[in-house]
Amino acid sequence: MATHGAPGGPTSSALYDAATDAFRRWRTGEEPALDDLVRLMSPVLWHVVRATGLDRESTEDVVQNTWLTLVRSGDSVRDAQAITRWLCTAARREAWRVSKASARLRPVDDDVLAARMPDEASPETDVVTRDDNAQLWDALERLPERCRKLLRIVAWEPRPDYSSVADVLEMPIGSIGPTRRRCLDKLRGELGEQA
Amino acid sequence: MTTSDEELLTAVASAYAERDPAPVDLADGVLARLAVQDLETEFELFTLVQAVDTHAGTRQDDGPETSASVALEFAGSTYRVLVRISDADGDARRLDGWVVPALPIRVFLGPPGDDLAHTRQSAYADRDGRFEFPDAMRGEVRLWLLPQGSDAAPPFVTPPFLV
Repeated sequence: MATHGAPGGPTSSALYDAATDAFRRWRTGEEPALDDLVRLMSPVLWHVVRATGLDRESTEDVVQNTWLTLVRSGDSVRDAQAITRWLCTAARREAWRVSKASARLRPVDDDVLAARMPDEASPETDVVTRDDNAQLWDALERLPERCRKLLRIVAWEPRPDYSSVADVLEMPIGSIGPTRRRCLDKLRGELGEQA
Repeated sequence: MTTSDEELLTAVASAYAERDPAPVDLADGVLARLAVQDLETEFELFTLVQAVDTHAGTRQDDGPETSASVALEFAGSTYRVLVRISDADGDARRLDGWVVPALPIRVFLGPPGDDLAHTRQSAYADRDGRFEFPDAMRGEVRLWLLPQGSDAAPPFVTPPFLV
């Protein structure tokens, strides 16, 4: 799998802690710690940027540029505990800038994406998980696009910065929390659960 | 039964990881790009000193492949690099290298024209100066060698060669 371990998400304090630790080691002169940080966080940045609607190729560029910015201005991240938020916010703002600047980049809707991706789960996934994921994916597809984007971000990003999320989703910052809750409830409804 | 927010979001994260995964070489591409950024100096070009096809004479079109096939030696102003390309499991090709004298070094393997370092594979040389790409990319490639540390030797690049 390309996820390099457990996905992010609010339960993933392990990812957050590991990223904070790697950043701290790098800042104290341990060069290979940057590799650890890159390998931990690049998949997270991928999902954060893809949630803005950028195509895969542009997303790869944005992820690379985000790391270049960090290396060139790493001193500006004073608090190691802020590193995941700094990276995700920088990536999201760069994605926003790229998609605004380039008219030829049309956002790819998840519906298009779903139609192009194979339905098969990865071979190592057992039958139960496959059924769950297919059901979950169907449920996600029935949600409004804004809900899907927001849920993808909060699922992958440790402790997201709501103001930059609000910018890319073009929503008032105060509505992110309530929208998150409403989208989760809608998803439960689509899954046939009591909201 | 109601799934908790955390369980639900973890499932959502997995679903996206499965349906729209990050490219497997995403992090390698980032690392290659970082390694070459801000390099004011041009890469010094190694020269090919020697190429030995240890396969010569034994290869047959439909015959069994033997292991070691090509050994290359490159030399720059301060060190040499020996490279051996051999068959690995299946269709894979393996690239083993040695830096002489041994020094901590970062190695990238990629196509010659890859200016953005998008598709390079990366490795570190160990204490003995040895590095490896167990599943090296095929086709025309070159190696970029970036000595690590403050008193580092200049970065080198090899001429293109075939894997």
